[in-house]
Amino acid sequence: MSRLSRLGAATRYTIIGFGAVAGVLLVVFLWVVLGPGPTDFAGGERVALSAYHGADPTGVPPELARASLVRRGEYLARAADCQACHTAKGGVPYAGGLAFVLPFGTLYSVNITPDKDTGIGSFSDAAFLNALHKGVDDKGVPLYPAMPYASYTGMTDADALAIKAYLFSLKPVHAEVPDNTLFFPFNQRWLMSVWSFLFNPDRRFEPNTQRSAQWNRGAYLAEAMAHCGECHTPRNLAFALDNRSKFSGAVQTGWRAYNITSDRDSGVGAWRDGELAQYLASGHAEGRGTAAGPMGEAVAASFRYLTQGDIAAMVAYLRTVPAVASSDLPAPKVSPAPASHRQGVAAGYDAQGKAIFAGACASCHDWTGVSALSRFATLTGARAVNDPTATNVAQIVISGEVRGTPHGKVFMPSFGHAFSDTEVAAVANYVTARFGARASSITAREVSTLRQAE
Amino acid sequence: MAKLNINGQHRDVDVSDDTPLLWVLRDVLGLTGTKFGCGIAQCGACTVHVDGKAVRSCLLPVGAIDNRAVTTIEAVGATPAGARVQKAWLDLEVVQCGYCQSGQIMSASALLAMTPHPDDSDIDAAMAGNICRCGTYVRIRAAIKKAAGAQSA
Repeated sequence: MSRLSRLGAATRYTIIGFGAVAGVLLVVFLWVVLGPGPTDFAGGERVALSAYHGADPTGVPPELARASLVRRGEYLARAADCQACHTAKGGVPYAGGLAFVLPFGTLYSVNITPDKDTGIGSFSDAAFLNALHKGVDDKGVPLYPAMPYASYTGMTDADALAIKAYLFSLKPVHAEVPDNTLFFPFNQRWLMSVWSFLFNPDRRFEPNTQRSAQWNRGAYLAEAMAHCGECHTPRNLAFALDNRSKFSGAVQTGWRAYNITSDRDSGVGAWRDGELAQYLASGHAEGRGTAAGPMGEAVAASFRYLTQGDIAAMVAYLRTVPAVASSDLPAPKVSPAPASHRQGVAAGYDAQGKAIFAGACASCHDWTGVSALSRFATLTGARAVNDPTATNVAQIVISGEVRGTPHGKVFMPSFGHAFSDTEVAAVANYVTARFGARASSITAREVSTLRQAE
Repeated sequence: MAKLNINGQHRDVDVSDDTPLLWVLRDVLGLTGTKFGCGIAQCGACTVHVDGKAVRSCLLPVGAIDNRAVTTIEAVGATPAGARVQKAWLDLEVVQCGYCQSGQIMSASALLAMTPHPDDSDIDAAMAGNICRCGTYVRIRAAIKKAAGAQSA
């Protein structure tokens, strides 16, 4: 007779019950941890860079092959968009201090100018590589994964060190950044080494031998440099990217990073290659709207500096990401709204929103949504007005936009100080009803939350 | 160099394509009836017509106009709706300080050209973006209705 059967029945069931729960937890844990990597969707065979015989997908594009190390590093730093996070609002570029408001406290990006006291001036090459590849600082202290080292880990040593050379060519800025205000247990940095062990592959980019040179270049740029997935891929419970729904959209700092999979209705599957390229390079594509918020920053600080060849490579790669539908996002409405205020939205619907639109918005966006002043202000076809949560419409009403583009400076005034939460919600709901495929019903309370998220 | 059609005249102006139309009108062509207010399309003082439609000239780059017809306050009196609006404005003595009024008249003329008999909601939709610090809104509304009535009479 076994030892188990000698125990009383109640005890036996308790043990079996605990075992079953532990087993289920283990399976869930493994399912999460063993999720696919960022380029696993492509199948095929991947090899180490040194064993790859195709054109080198890493480094700078051919146009810059003869450029100095610092100039190459500048291109790559832009491609990796270090500046977007390492610059405070209105602050000196790369001097850090941008706040990341998270559910468990606030994180601040660090100063990455070569100041020896407050920046990274004392980092050795090895320390810099460790930060990008392993997510630890020069003293071996784990970084929070707000620093996308699980993406940058794909970067080659040569490219990372070119970026370092560029950063070290900048003027050192003595700038202390505020202390993080995370609460327990998230203030325990050592826990990040557990996270890193589970979710950072710590492997350099491996080209896919069954894909074209252009695809591999695009994959390198999108994954190891531009880290698109850090905003556009949803996260699991452990805050790691869930590549089972890669690029299907997520909310970041109160803005919605939309679905950029090949899904025709809710993703970018219906966009032409040229439209995607134009959107990345200039922040706008005819009939597709204008990048704003964090994506506007990505265009302004990163994509607009990339060569046409590199943009085309990213587009080629993006095209192959499998379609994942976002059930709440309808296919964008492609036709302009009627010229008359009487048509398009039922009489009496959201009268407050209509009144605000008439006074503050119509002079630029027009009642049709097709701006007479700037194509960047045309709303027709934009995803934001075709998002029934109206998240990004409310955000841009609150914060406005000022951005340099290849066509000069474009801007929208910010109305966050002029309008109450109720008014922002009303005008956002009117805008989605008038120009979008499905009207939103965002509330004043939700607007208030969005104001705090940024 | 931009080629423009202003008040029925062909004008060549030596400016870059991203220069706002308002700057060209006032500083290059000397048409100072159109006013600068906010510079961000929020007040309406700079309103002109482009192919008959009310447009804020402070943010309209001349490079985007092509050969469309631009009409300013200096010439709007030559259009039927503009003439009625100007007469109604005089009859009701709408103007107080006057700074916003060329923009008000341009928006009102465009409204009447499109919608000959506007009701209050039409006036709200067309005029809400034209701000008047003197608060002449009540007389503006009355004058638009008078101008509309004059047409039907």
